[in-house]
Amino acid sequence: MHKYIFKRLLWVIPVLFGVSLIVFAIMHFSPGDPATVILGESAKPEAIAQLREQMGLNQPFIVQYFRYIGNAVFKLDLGRSFINNRPVIGEILIRLPNTIKLAGLSITLAAIVGIPLGVIASRKPYSALDNTTMFVSLLGVSMPTFWQGLLLILVFSLQLRMFPSTGFETWQQMVLPVITLASSSIGSIARITRSSMLDVMGQDFIRTAKAKGISEFRVVYVHILRNALLPVVTVIGLQFGSLLGGAVLTESIFSINGLGTLMVNAIRQRDLVVVQGGVLFIAFIFTLVNLCVDVLYAYIDPRIRSQYK
Amino acid sequence: MRFRKSKLVLVLVTLGVFLTACSTGGGGTGGKDTLTVASSADAVTFDIQNTNDQATTRVARQMYEPLIQQNDALELVPGLAESWTALDDTTYEFKLKKDVKFHNGEPFTAKDVEYTMKRAAESEQIGHIVGELDVSKIKVVDDYTIQLGTKEPFGPFLTHLAHPATAILNEKAVTEGGEDYGTNPVGTGPYKFASWIAGSEINVERFEDYHGTPGATEKIKFKVIKENSVRLISLETGEIDIAYDIAPSDIAKVEENKDLTMLKDPNLSTGYIGFNVQSDTPIKDVKVRQAINYAIDVDAILSTVYQGVGSKANGPLNHLVFGADKNPLGYEYDVEKAKALLTEAGYPTGGFTLKLYVGDNNAQRIAIAEIVKEELSKLGITVEITQLEWATYLDATGKGEHDLFILGWTTITTDADYGLYPLFHSSEFGKAGNRSFYKNERVDELLDKGKSTVNPDERLAIYKEAQELISVDAPWIFVNDGENDTAISNKVKGFAHHPSGSHFLSGVSVED
Repeated sequence: MHKYIFKRLLWVIPVLFGVSLIVFAIMHFSPGDPATVILGESAKPEAIAQLREQMGLNQPFIVQYFRYIGNAVFKLDLGRSFINNRPVIGEILIRLPNTIKLAGLSITLAAIVGIPLGVIASRKPYSALDNTTMFVSLLGVSMPTFWQGLLLILVFSLQLRMFPSTGFETWQQMVLPVITLASSSIGSIARITRSSMLDVMGQDFIRTAKAKGISEFRVVYVHILRNALLPVVTVIGLQFGSLLGGAVLTESIFSINGLGTLMVNAIRQRDLVVVQGGVLFIAFIFTLVNLCVDVLYAYIDPRIRSQYK
Repeated sequence: MRFRKSKLVLVLVTLGVFLTACSTGGGGTGGKDTLTVASSADAVTFDIQNTNDQATTRVARQMYEPLIQQNDALELVPGLAESWTALDDTTYEFKLKKDVKFHNGEPFTAKDVEYTMKRAAESEQIGHIVGELDVSKIKVVDDYTIQLGTKEPFGPFLTHLAHPATAILNEKAVTEGGEDYGTNPVGTGPYKFASWIAGSEINVERFEDYHGTPGATEKIKFKVIKENSVRLISLETGEIDIAYDIAPSDIAKVEENKDLTMLKDPNLSTGYIGFNVQSDTPIKDVKVRQAINYAIDVDAILSTVYQGVGSKANGPLNHLVFGADKNPLGYEYDVEKAKALLTEAGYPTGGFTLKLYVGDNNAQRIAIAEIVKEELSKLGITVEITQLEWATYLDATGKGEHDLFILGWTTITTDADYGLYPLFHSSEFGKAGNRSFYKNERVDELLDKGKSTVNPDERLAIYKEAQELISVDAPWIFVNDGENDTAISNKVKGFAHHPSGSHFLSGVSVED
């Protein structure tokens, strides 16, 4: 098992290499010159040329790339922002806690609400209860985050004055953004739980369990749910990963200072260094989350655990 | 003994809490001790010579001071210089204020001015603002007297020195701060830097040793709230006191709210639709450009797209700018005239296609693009709209890939030179500003002359002629002059707009 985890950790290195190369190449070869953006529409061409020289943008692609990777690996230095000259690593670390808190709380809420919803729906497939639960979860998935966030602000901040509309420090400030971000994941988790439950329910060992006279509750929550959890865990892992990088809209509606807004601003301003640093970080966390999911499989499913031995 | 010690601590803590509670109860004015202001973007860096953006200036203006200030009426008034005299056409002498201290305790002297000006001249971001300054003519006469000169006579020199980006820095602070000076700024202004949570908020505090009238509120908090609607809601719920940049569609909502006040005042920006006069299409012909000018209903754009925000542009210069012609230089909406001109030019039924480029970051400009397409289809001209990401857009229009484009310009120096030279002089083709690739030798001559003339009346006459020529040549369709739109809580006292968009806040207070 430990050997397996170690091996998986080693895999992070080539993944990060690949990600950094792709991001670097995309940013390098896309149109739009960082120096022009930094200096604005009223800058003199000589000033732009001088800044390009200073930023090292005139050097060949490969030289730029390896210099970047060298600094990142050996000095833990991701460079300084083109725009405000602050160290990129600092810019990321300031915002990382907010993003992790937001994504973590949202995925927890989504799991706590989503799994029971899925279980309830699967108990009597195609009944009114099932249809209602699935309709609600579909609504959660399909409602645009943007619209939903503003709606919550209108009702709970402006009308009822229960929660503030911006910020992310106190628990009151966290309520609305977490609900907004969680609602689409709740839908996905509920739907996958339901279908996975239905799959397991039809299998022979469940009939056997029922025939042995085990209580309904035990059959559902121990025998069926435990076996149905594998795909659910996968989905939760994937959702968490995408929430880390994909919370942009929620962050921007509630003025939360997170990685998403940092990245979007950086992309707009052609702040290559920040974009690269941010993507590398998200890729790193994403790989770790995937690793955790795989390890969790082993704990949930003895069949998988036995393969590691 | 131990028991007594803990008791003592308890007493001290209680006292401390009590005192803090008292002090946060408000200063002598009885108002709130913190003014909270929200805008849509975060500052870039407070090394103000390394940026030239409004979000930064809005905060920096409270911490830094230039030699000359331009007040809300755009008059030049003393800043750190008490008075100034022109020694000749290219040299000015400034008498500096005494007893001015920087936030780090250092005294302000002529040496700081010398350091600031030399450093500014090297800056890529603001070099153009002090561009005509001749560094070799800087002469420190004594601690409180300094001479600054230009290479050639330069009419708007004093106005350029009033630009917030030329505010005076302290050499020691800049050197000590090194690469991190931008987050540890030191100025002479009424407020000093306190803290900055990047992307979220900036806090400044009243500078107790300020040489002028002290700030009315103890602290100012600048919050970043990107979403227009959320910024407004935060104002409605009382989380903030002032909300900058209210969207045109939200103005009516503010005006209906009896707890809020909507402030609308003209700013220094102007919006236009430009032609690439050298593109390989019929718009090379001035008659076709005039025809298109007649065919666009600018009033309709103002009422539908801008919903009454701002005013119709008179000509290429915003109406507040020194040298702006007061007569309307645009073309009245007249489709028949447009058709007649097209026929004269040899395109009675249109029959050609134009590429219109627009940036993707401005909803109003995108809407204008649609209107242009619609209006020109009536003349048989096909318009293909290309929406580009902002950086790509600047690149493409700089290279002249477009036939038509939509853009704006803010004449930050408030002088016609900066409002016309980069946009219409043939030495400024492309990225430098002249994205119309417009060239008229007489206009070039006039713009050069306007720059090097010092007499204001002569300059007015020169710029008047230049604007009239530009209007006839029609490299632009003049659209609108912009407006500052700020919503404030009725508890806010003493707030007024500055036309530049970065407003002075030291006189602003908030009632409890």
